[in-house]
Amino acid sequence: MSERRLHLQLGVGACVASGLLIFLAIPQWVAAPSNIKNIILSPLFWPYVLAGCTGVAGLGLIASGLRMPVIAHDRPTDPEEGPGALGRLLGMALIMVMTMYLLPRLGMVWTSMLCFALTAFLVKTRHPKLAVVCAVVIPLALYAFFAHVAGVAIPQGHFVRLP
Amino acid sequence: MSFVDSLMAGLSLVANFESFLALAGGVAIGVIGGAIPGMSATMAVALTLPFTFAMQPITGILLLLGVYKGGIFGGSIPAILIKTPGTPASSATILDGYPMAEKGEAGRALGMALWASCTADLISNLALIVFAGWLASFALSFGPPEFFTLILFSLTIIAGVSGESLLRGALSAILGLLLATVGLDLVYGTNRFTFGDPNMMGGLNFIAVLIGLFAIPEVLAMVWHPTAHLGKARSLGNNWVSFADYKKSFRSIVRGSLIGVFLGSIPGIGAAPSAFLSYSEARRKSKDKANFGKGEVEGVAASEAGNNGVAGATLIPLLALGVPGDVITAIIIGAFMIHGLQPGPMMFILNVDLIYGLFIGLIVSSVCLFFIGSVAIKGFKYVADIPKRLLIPGVLVLCIYGVFAVNNNIFDVGVMFAMGWVGYAMMRWRIPAAPFLIAFILGPLLEDNFRQAMLMSGSDWKILFRGPITWFFWSVTAITIFAIIRMGVNATREGRRAAKDAG
Repeated sequence: MSERRLHLQLGVGACVASGLLIFLAIPQWVAAPSNIKNIILSPLFWPYVLAGCTGVAGLGLIASGLRMPVIAHDRPTDPEEGPGALGRLLGMALIMVMTMYLLPRLGMVWTSMLCFALTAFLVKTRHPKLAVVCAVVIPLALYAFFAHVAGVAIPQGHFVRLP
Repeated sequence: MSFVDSLMAGLSLVANFESFLALAGGVAIGVIGGAIPGMSATMAVALTLPFTFAMQPITGILLLLGVYKGGIFGGSIPAILIKTPGTPASSATILDGYPMAEKGEAGRALGMALWASCTADLISNLALIVFAGWLASFALSFGPPEFFTLILFSLTIIAGVSGESLLRGALSAILGLLLATVGLDLVYGTNRFTFGDPNMMGGLNFIAVLIGLFAIPEVLAMVWHPTAHLGKARSLGNNWVSFADYKKSFRSIVRGSLIGVFLGSIPGIGAAPSAFLSYSEARRKSKDKANFGKGEVEGVAASEAGNNGVAGATLIPLLALGVPGDVITAIIIGAFMIHGLQPGPMMFILNVDLIYGLFIGLIVSSVCLFFIGSVAIKGFKYVADIPKRLLIPGVLVLCIYGVFAVNNNIFDVGVMFAMGWVGYAMMRWRIPAAPFLIAFILGPLLEDNFRQAMLMSGSDWKILFRGPITWFFWSVTAITIFAIIRMGVNATREGRRAAKDAG
């Protein structure tokens, strides 16, 4: 992506975000007592200032983008896309959602084992057997440290409980 | 408390096996973390943080400082052996380090990197000991308006120099400040962006945000392109660094260390610019100018002294003012907070034993770095052989455990995942993450000091210009903005001229 296009995209995004904050999010989600005499001390003041600054930064990005030369080629620093990259990224998002869903039900150790194994196979590991061994050993070792050394109450889930 | 009493109090805290083990272990973890391309000193510190919860404050903080120091040096190993900087700070080391490796002098380059790193580290630590106390005693006279202008200046400079563009840095900092408003209002206790969720009322967990921002994007980048190519590690060769090499480079090492100390003590500049500036100064002053870039040992010494000179100095604003100088010190501030400590001028009065304990530990860390670094240089090929596609799932699992352990709260794991995607989007759109994180940490302080100043003055904004300190910070903020805008305008002008010439 060229620097110009990047600035224009970010600028438009920042202006839209600023608008959403000022007209929708702040009135809806920031509570303020009705009897505040001084706006500067109101809980609304700081979010509005920051939303305004977001808009100003957005306009600045658009202005600087428009001043930049039009260059057709992409920058070489853009991350290279492997085959099926978007699908894998979606797969990773699903693994994260699954992790959040299973953590309280299966417990952290078993969920982490699944999470490790699925992620390793998602990135096409060349050591599948080692991946399975690590998927079992690493969560267990971390459980041992956090539960028995650090004294953290690691969630155990509803099924198999560890000592 | 006299200096000797403070020193003795500090010594009583650190003069035990546990502290030295934490320090040595930290340096070892840092060197390994810094040496693995794709990991970084930042990620190593972030992933080590959860393991410090169960430790004594001094032990935990020494462990993290060890990781920090080790990580900065560790980055130079892959920079020299496989032309891949383990940390951005080691980018300048490639310029002469890799050509030396190609000539069969990798061992000599790595040896010089280690000697220069240890020397610069020691100078930087001494600077911290000398200046931090003085700055803290000066900062005791700061009130809310002074702190407000100081934090504003810090955020300006961090936003300005962290990335390639002031505007993208500024946007990043503003988004960080916005995220910091989540939770209960500081004065009235009303809800701000909590969406009716009680988990949000205390604000977003800092550790979840930082791990999400700095570790998860690496996982997602790996998922996006799993076959990230690794260069082939070169052999160390038979040449080792000699005392004559060290003597020849000594002036460059000291100069680089002082550059590192100066730039490190300014919040936000960091190790990479310091390394490049030190390198260019060494080249400018060298008798062997022509050899730079072709495998000159003095170039390696200068760049390593530049980046390691920053390591102790970044702790000056952290300890004396409570302002993190870079991302790693922002993580270390989290360790202080977890243990119920608030870095800043008052810490030099309330926790003087801890401060002096840290100073003693830091001096020892330079010695640890020398011995552990020597071993790490020889053992790098084992580190390089770690399959990255097994390391990344391991990092993910470690993140899950670490973030959960902070508050025993699964919600924080969700925050980490969400921030991971935010961090990945920032990476793709080339928005620097450092201003975001530092603004997220400093946001409540900035707002708090602003509102306190307004309460003090009955909402008269003139209080923000009440004395020489506030005027000084307003002036340097204005100068910084002007300088960065001017650089940006010049760069755009150059780009347009180049495009016109090309087309």
